[in-house]
Amino acid sequence: MVFLAGVFFTSCETTDLDLLNDPNNLTTNDAELDRLMSNIQLDFNTFLRQMGNNGAQATRLQNPFGRTYRDAFEPVTMDGTWSTAYQGLFSNIQLAETYATALENNKHLGVMKIIKGYTLIVLVDFFGDVPFSEATNPVEFPAPFADPGQDVYQGAIALIDEGVDLLNQPGAELNPDMYYDNDYGKWKKAANTMKLAAYLNTGNTAAFNAIINSGNYIASTADDMQFQYGANQTSPDTRHPSYSNDYTPNGASSYRSNWIMDAMVDNNDPRLRYYFHRQNGCTPGAQGCATDPGRLPCSVTVKPNHYTSDMIYCSVDKGYWGRDHLNAEGIPPDNFFRTVVGVYPHGGLFDDAVIGDETNHPFEGVSSGAGGGGAGINPILLASWVDFWKAEVALASNNTSGAASAMQAGLQKSTSKVASFISVDPTADATVAPTGGQISSFIADIVNQFNSATSMSKKMDILAEQAFITYYGNGIGAYNMYRRTGAPSDLQYSLDPNPGNFVRSFFYPAAEANVNSNIQQKDDLNVQVFWDNNPASPAFPPAN
Amino acid sequence: MYLTFYCDFWHWLIQINYKMRTKFSGFLTLLLAFVVQLTFAQEKTISGTVLDEGNLPLPGVNVIVKGTSNGTQTDFDGNYTISANVGQTLVFSYVGYKTEEKGISAASTNISLSMQPEADVLTEVLVVAQGISKEKKALGYAVSTIQEESIKESPQTDLTRVLSGKAAGINITSQTGLSGSANQVVIRGLTSFTGSNNALYIIDNVPYSNDTNNSGNFVDGNIGSSRSFDIDPNNIENIQILKGLAATTLYGSEGRNGVILITTKTGSSKNLNRKQEVEVSSSTFINEVGTLPDYQDIYGGGFDQAFGWFYSNWGPGFYKNGLGGWANDPLIDENGTVAHPYSTSAFLNAYPDFKASYEGERYEWRPRNSVERFFKKGISQNLSISARGRSEDGKLGYGVIASHLDEDGFTPGNNVKRTNLTISGDARLTNKIGVRGSMTYTRTNLKTPPLAASNGSSVFGGGSSIFGDLIYTPRNIDFFELPFELPDGASIYYRDDNAIQHPLWTVKNAKYSEDINRVNGFAAINYNFNDYFNLEYQGSVDVYSQNNINRQNKGGVSDFPVITSGFYYTYNTTNTIYDHRFVLSGSNFELLNDKMNISFQLGATSKGTTFERKGVYSDGQIVYGFFDHSNFANSTTLKDVDGDGIIDIDAQDFNRRNVVGVFGQLNVDWDNWAFLSVSGRQDWVSNANENTIFYPSASLSVIPTTLFDGLSSDGGLNFLKLRAGYGTSANFAIGYPTVTNLDSNPVAFIDADGNTIVTNSTSSVYGNPGIKPELIEELEYGIEGRIARRVSFDVSYFNRTTNDLIVNIPVPASTGFTSTTTNIGEINTWGIEADLGVNIFKSDTNGFDWKLNVNFTKLDSEVKDLGLDTDLVIYAGFTNLGNGAKVGEPLTALYGARVQRDENGNLLVDDAGDYLAESVDEDGNLPKIGDANPDFVMNYISTMSWKGVFLNVQVNHTSGGDMYAGTVATLMGRGLTTDTENRLGTFILDGVSASTGEPNTVQIGNAQYYFDNGFASEADELSVYDASVLRLQEVSLGYSIPSKLLDRTPFGSVKIKFSGFNLWYDAYNMPDGTNFDPNTSSLGSGNGQGFEFLTGPSSKRYGVSINATF
Repeated sequence: MVFLAGVFFTSCETTDLDLLNDPNNLTTNDAELDRLMSNIQLDFNTFLRQMGNNGAQATRLQNPFGRTYRDAFEPVTMDGTWSTAYQGLFSNIQLAETYATALENNKHLGVMKIIKGYTLIVLVDFFGDVPFSEATNPVEFPAPFADPGQDVYQGAIALIDEGVDLLNQPGAELNPDMYYDNDYGKWKKAANTMKLAAYLNTGNTAAFNAIINSGNYIASTADDMQFQYGANQTSPDTRHPSYSNDYTPNGASSYRSNWIMDAMVDNNDPRLRYYFHRQNGCTPGAQGCATDPGRLPCSVTVKPNHYTSDMIYCSVDKGYWGRDHLNAEGIPPDNFFRTVVGVYPHGGLFDDAVIGDETNHPFEGVSSGAGGGGAGINPILLASWVDFWKAEVALASNNTSGAASAMQAGLQKSTSKVASFISVDPTADATVAPTGGQISSFIADIVNQFNSATSMSKKMDILAEQAFITYYGNGIGAYNMYRRTGAPSDLQYSLDPNPGNFVRSFFYPAAEANVNSNIQQKDDLNVQVFWDNNPASPAFPPAN
Repeated sequence: MYLTFYCDFWHWLIQINYKMRTKFSGFLTLLLAFVVQLTFAQEKTISGTVLDEGNLPLPGVNVIVKGTSNGTQTDFDGNYTISANVGQTLVFSYVGYKTEEKGISAASTNISLSMQPEADVLTEVLVVAQGISKEKKALGYAVSTIQEESIKESPQTDLTRVLSGKAAGINITSQTGLSGSANQVVIRGLTSFTGSNNALYIIDNVPYSNDTNNSGNFVDGNIGSSRSFDIDPNNIENIQILKGLAATTLYGSEGRNGVILITTKTGSSKNLNRKQEVEVSSSTFINEVGTLPDYQDIYGGGFDQAFGWFYSNWGPGFYKNGLGGWANDPLIDENGTVAHPYSTSAFLNAYPDFKASYEGERYEWRPRNSVERFFKKGISQNLSISARGRSEDGKLGYGVIASHLDEDGFTPGNNVKRTNLTISGDARLTNKIGVRGSMTYTRTNLKTPPLAASNGSSVFGGGSSIFGDLIYTPRNIDFFELPFELPDGASIYYRDDNAIQHPLWTVKNAKYSEDINRVNGFAAINYNFNDYFNLEYQGSVDVYSQNNINRQNKGGVSDFPVITSGFYYTYNTTNTIYDHRFVLSGSNFELLNDKMNISFQLGATSKGTTFERKGVYSDGQIVYGFFDHSNFANSTTLKDVDGDGIIDIDAQDFNRRNVVGVFGQLNVDWDNWAFLSVSGRQDWVSNANENTIFYPSASLSVIPTTLFDGLSSDGGLNFLKLRAGYGTSANFAIGYPTVTNLDSNPVAFIDADGNTIVTNSTSSVYGNPGIKPELIEELEYGIEGRIARRVSFDVSYFNRTTNDLIVNIPVPASTGFTSTTTNIGEINTWGIEADLGVNIFKSDTNGFDWKLNVNFTKLDSEVKDLGLDTDLVIYAGFTNLGNGAKVGEPLTALYGARVQRDENGNLLVDDAGDYLAESVDEDGNLPKIGDANPDFVMNYISTMSWKGVFLNVQVNHTSGGDMYAGTVATLMGRGLTTDTENRLGTFILDGVSASTGEPNTVQIGNAQYYFDNGFASEADELSVYDASVLRLQEVSLGYSIPSKLLDRTPFGSVKIKFSGFNLWYDAYNMPDGTNFDPNTSSLGSGNGQGFEFLTGPSSKRYGVSINATF
């Protein structure tokens, strides 16, 4: 009997045929609006940081790994970022909107539309035509069509406008608001600044100036849109990912770009000690430093023929140790020698070493937790950048004095923001930080160079060089500017004389193009986005 | 009446037994237990001994006085005594042996004889499905049988691996040579690329789980044993492999990948009529590393001929003067020494005292062999004791077997232990009811250093890997000479940045272990209505509890702080299978003047599987060396180890799925020459809306040699069978495919105010409410026969199509999701399997006998339709390097970046003299860079015997098939093996200059040639090699002590055997010096094939075993 009872007990258990629901997971019915909203805010930052990296690598703010543009920007490298936008941001926004609409949470709705609008703008800037009207609707559109970039731009601006309208409506506050702590005035300024970026790209000066004249945009550093990282190493890791990469027990893992370090050394830029942390005072092959084929193989090779005479090659002075553009050599044991990210914006070490006075101001190798512990920022929209945009618009209409003063304002905002980061590194020796006087004279020097430059293109080069340096930390602005203007025309060339044409737009991600029959992968990197009216590659840009 | 009952009751048991009979362990068998009326004749008492062809006693032989009902059976020692009259004839019969007749003369008192096997195995009976047995000649599909002798006492202790090469159509892939590592058994190729392709294990009619619960994914760590490792090879009586769907329909959807049908000795103990038999076997084997690379000893570590503490071995020569000699290197002093790596390490600036202790120390510039010394000879010991018996009246039987295995791997820290205990019994309660049951307890304990994918520049994921940095150690380095521990316990090694974890540190500080307690068993009750109808119920359970520990002390080397902080991951997995089955069978329906014989089975079954995992992951070890969750700063159940925002560790999982099925089979036997079988099964599954499917099968076997009398002759064709079968099977989606989930992260971020932020997000997986079962169809044709009683052949052709394939496909992220489960497309697989046996020398008198068996397999597959809009689905590996399914291509193809081609297909070289790479082909897809499917596989098995001595040799040959071989590419790219000795000249790559269109003429150096244009190239194609391999799989030499010599001992038989496994191999199309063994898969037990990411060498085993029966 016991046996039979056992049989029936277990056989009933094995004949239950209604086990559809996953006991391991919640369903979309269990979502909470603010939890979705938090995810949207985090994804927005992740997306912009990763796009910023791509842009920075193309424009010598960061070092890309590959010998050709094609190698460095393979389709697969875009998979994660693309997925963050569509599977992360847009899909969650779609779900969160149903909750927010039901709850009449207009602030949530407004912020979501603004975030979605700017994400779309950046997607178009990098990829050209992208899915928009058919996106996030898998039942009806299993293979979304890529809408023309121009239409997406229009739709994005409309979304931002709708978002601003919604922010004016009553509704519960975000909990939390990681960007502006529920200051919706700042959100509106940020929204308008996003539109400024779009109008700058499309050359819509009237619309650009209209916003400038309204004054309702990010004009003050206090209104900067940025994401604040923390110093928690694990559970969760809240550090700036570039910091996490470089500040490890085994030394640095990424390279800084020689071009930006050299340009800043040349001008004695006061931001150097904040942007970069040197681990070593002498770069092999630099003036007064011995070569070291083991740690820096290029220190014993000659400058490639195609480089111009005043173009930096291999060894930057003063211990700045990085890589030339598109250098894909193997990795020598230089992890404790090469230059790493600094305290701005990555939350690393303030560089307080002094060549010649190493006893008191030694070079410090990286270690886990050093400096600001990674509690840096991802700059998204800064007041200083807007000044450079204004300068570019002014210069385009031959208003050189307006351009000079806008650039000066931008440099002032940038240098003072950067200098404020000394407090992020509690171990910083502030005595070696550039003084106010040094900063002023640097700015004056740049403005002077600009004013005394004899040609418009030379002025543009100076403006663009400073804009690029100001964008350090997020290369989206630099990447767009380079395709708008081709400046600076004296960017360091690629190491290989034939690196392929510049990335006029990125390949579609492998994961998308492989499975979306309505998106055909691009043949090459020559495809220009709709607002890029410059000559086709390779005639443009001049420095490649 | 009594006799009838007996036969019916034991009908299927006896049928099993027909083929169970084995030569070497005399106690295994028993025949039909006739109940015989003894007539006591007066004249004479005859006695004698009946031996088998190996001169072992043959118990259970029927000895009958011809024409009377007077008979007896031989006893355990083969002895019999019978009374008969002079002039009468004794008939000796035994299934599987030729019947002998001996006349009785006046002088006869002792009639002894050796019986010879019946060459014609027409009467062989096989258990084919759900406990149903059939004569082999009646089968309309291919079945391979593997006997006990080729399994037990094998140096290979993993049963699955023993099967390798034993029969056509079966492909066994080992993950690595580590003892206890996972395996994969694929029969007749892949039918699905997202579902499991592993064969179903059925032991004594009970489903047996063969899960592999890895330590992680294939990147971060995938060591872990497959649960078929729990099977005790000592308890195997035979294995039947059902390959085709016509054979497996009744097993339901899990039989779609073929069935490995195991009959255990204890499971068949009911057939024994002896009072008691005891068998002991003991074996000891050496387990050592297969073959290591032939390292060159001319050049040492460095790059571009200059010394440096690099991963690579492109440094100066170990000779002083001349081109490439060390005299020219500024870092090597005149005594031929370099600065000790610990005296110059930049990393050690953080350990100034430790560094200072090496100040000024020098390190000799000479070749060293630490890799060879790293491996050891492991000992594998196996002891097995079994006892079986049956009561005098034959109504009660029992079996017990206990086995213990203790095996050390060739890698330090690798050990596997396995203990099995099985008890079984059966009883006939009344004339109509019988019961039987069996219960097995297994404990398996695996310990190993961690194993993870490595790309030849250390691991790329979050785990440590014992082989990740070992094989390519530069020749000037002896890691035994370099201390591996810093004062705080952290790892230290030769690199300036300490970017490699010292292998000895890994051995000491990183461990992975599995402790499995498993119980499986069944109880069955049988009711026999009458001569025709029989009803049986069987209930079974298979439950295992697996405790896994994955741990590492703090101080390791990794890009991820979670790893370097020390981690401790413990989890328990409990998997339970309940299976119930009712079968009503009818047989012996004779029609049309007994020309037609009909039998049928009707059954219902329900199977419930529950998988449950619970565990904790901790990181941030506080006190070095102590593993307890309280000694870690963070404990959680979800962990993103590498910080990429994707959860890598999910310590909790619960999965439950039920399948209910009804099935039926009808068999028609026409005049002993045509056999038709029709069957079908309908299943219902618990995790889908469209949850049911019916799938039928039919097969026909025709025996022309029976039909046409003149066709067969003794010296010509003895037997011929033609068969054809149509089979189907189904497959259901796993998991919970119909619902879309919500991801929740309880610790997504900590904001500036210190608040922990919880997030919700939509799952990347889109639930498909319309998912339906897939249907697999197969047509199979075969021919079997025997010629001149020496040559046998069995050839099959099959063609299999999977319709409505269930696939986890990637979908465009622009849909808001990245994957879903759906039914798409069609895959076609076809192949030829052939087994040929030749008895080259034949002896019926215990003389020299030599049989050669050859089996041949050729498989091919083609993706016919991928459905949707997808051109290519990468289903295993990485999204940019892996196995993919593409229309018109085989399912086994490899995809990845290739060398760029011009329109004429020439390889393009850039101005620096390097190959250009491209990851997009003409159609905009990831290029195809190879096909893992071999052209064919052949196995040669030679069996020789002479008197009591036997020699068996098995050679395997796999011809063709490509492999992305990380180990080979790394050894070549880093300049370690003898293949790279010729390096002082310059090299020019074959190809065309991309800028000029002319043939490339750029001269490049060795490192650029081998490194930049080898494994370090973006073009994955350059790491793909031909994986053909010739292998001496098994050799065994044994001796059975003649029974005469054992007469005065308690032993029934004694056998001693020397054997070796994987003694030699040559992957003849790979670079010679790499000595790489391509039978490995870094993708673990999943569907990926043809990828190897420094998974480590294979093992070679040899030793001795002794088997004795009492």
